[in-house]
Amino acid sequence: MNILEITSQTWITLGIVVGIFAGSAILIGALILIVGKVFKVNVDEKVTKILENLAGANCGGCGCSGCGGFAAKLADGSGNLADCHVTSPEKKAEIAKLLGIELKDEEPTVATVHCSGTAENCAVKFQYMGNPTCAGCNSLLGGNKSCKFACLGCGDCAAACPEGAIAIKNGVAKIDPDKCVSCGACITACPKKLIGRIPSSAPVYVGCSSLLKGKEVISACKTGCIGCGICAKSCPNGAITMVDNLPRIDYEKCTGCMTCAQKCPKKIILSRKIAAEKVEEIKSKPEQPAEKTA
Amino acid sequence: MGTFIAIVLAAVLTNNFITNKSYGICPFLGVSKKTSSALGMGVAVTVVMALATLVTYPIYTCVMEPLGFGFLEIIFFIFIIASLVQMLEMIIRKLSPSLYNAMGVYLPLITTNCAVLGVTELVIGDMEAIIGTATMNIGWAVLYALFAGIGFTLVMVIMSGLREKLNYYKTPKALTGFPTAMVTACFICMAFMVFSI
Repeated sequence: MNILEITSQTWITLGIVVGIFAGSAILIGALILIVGKVFKVNVDEKVTKILENLAGANCGGCGCSGCGGFAAKLADGSGNLADCHVTSPEKKAEIAKLLGIELKDEEPTVATVHCSGTAENCAVKFQYMGNPTCAGCNSLLGGNKSCKFACLGCGDCAAACPEGAIAIKNGVAKIDPDKCVSCGACITACPKKLIGRIPSSAPVYVGCSSLLKGKEVISACKTGCIGCGICAKSCPNGAITMVDNLPRIDYEKCTGCMTCAQKCPKKIILSRKIAAEKVEEIKSKPEQPAEKTA
Repeated sequence: MGTFIAIVLAAVLTNNFITNKSYGICPFLGVSKKTSSALGMGVAVTVVMALATLVTYPIYTCVMEPLGFGFLEIIFFIFIIASLVQMLEMIIRKLSPSLYNAMGVYLPLITTNCAVLGVTELVIGDMEAIIGTATMNIGWAVLYALFAGIGFTLVMVIMSGLREKLNYYKTPKALTGFPTAMVTACFICMAFMVFSI
């Protein structure tokens, strides 16, 4: 049977075609509806609401698999809202209201290179003549420095920086904190993962990323952190903990007394050398509301 | 057996969907930056291709052609494949959340990917050049779709591997990124031309 042979008139043919489409549309629509009902997944309403307020960039900067994963983490309380750098402060306040938590004032951060392996500190294993990028150098035996955690100095971070804040000095990248906007482009560009964010007002930072034990570090670098833990013991505020042979500084507890920098046998806890008034100026901003309530 | 080998070779190498027919160029250039995502996309396309053929081939041969509205194939197939992918996504989400997390993001992207629509169109058309004297049936159709998807995955993985390696090299500024990908695609297609001569 051929349904189009019933008639030779165009408008009836057209009507039949439209009828076929309408019929199958209703059929498939009903089918999807049934499948949707049968295979319904119960999604937490809170997650949907949080997801609406997130920026939706799916950048993965928070360490989750996208905004959906971050929203789920926030809803069950294991995520930290400050991990998202993209969502606007107004939207964040909205999410904080949904979660019933108080939104902390965020202190501005700057990116810092955690390596001091300059030419005089860290020996060069071999002459690298390949493509002049850190990624290329790193792909050949993990780079040409004697320490496998050392900055390769080929300038992938400097090329990635939109502000021109990074310069290579004596084989190690240096970031100008006045120009840095903490966008994180260098953090993703560095193949050695040496760059991290620290608060703008941080008085000290650790100038080494080596996770190795003392003996191996000494053989590779003159100034590397040997993981002795003297800084952690000497800190009067308990702001330093040793994780994987490296000191981790809790900047909320740090008062800038410089005990750690003086006690460090390798002098690898470095002073930021910011003018004293500037530290005051940066620190006073987040502390103002706290004084009012006290 | 001869037909089986002919279909496999044709779908994967000589008539490869990307390099020979230029179907599925959007995922080929868009999702080939990382090998893991290229593989995920390839697997998703393979599954949808086989499933779509499994559904559209009997609908065409048993319903549309005898009733005389075979000429509506393109619109009808888009219609069927789009709703099929939608239902597949719902079912995977319910039955296997881990599979949904791995493959789910690619499913809406290929709702009516040209490669998926292409394979359903091809198997209802003239397949004589490939299967020879054997009669076309649903088994051959699904087999062709499955191996076309595997051929698609193969080229996606080759492309993504090359693009990952090319990231290590400094290219002239005007050629960095997408232009390099186009040149790479050209070389892959030339390499696959060898099979079809």
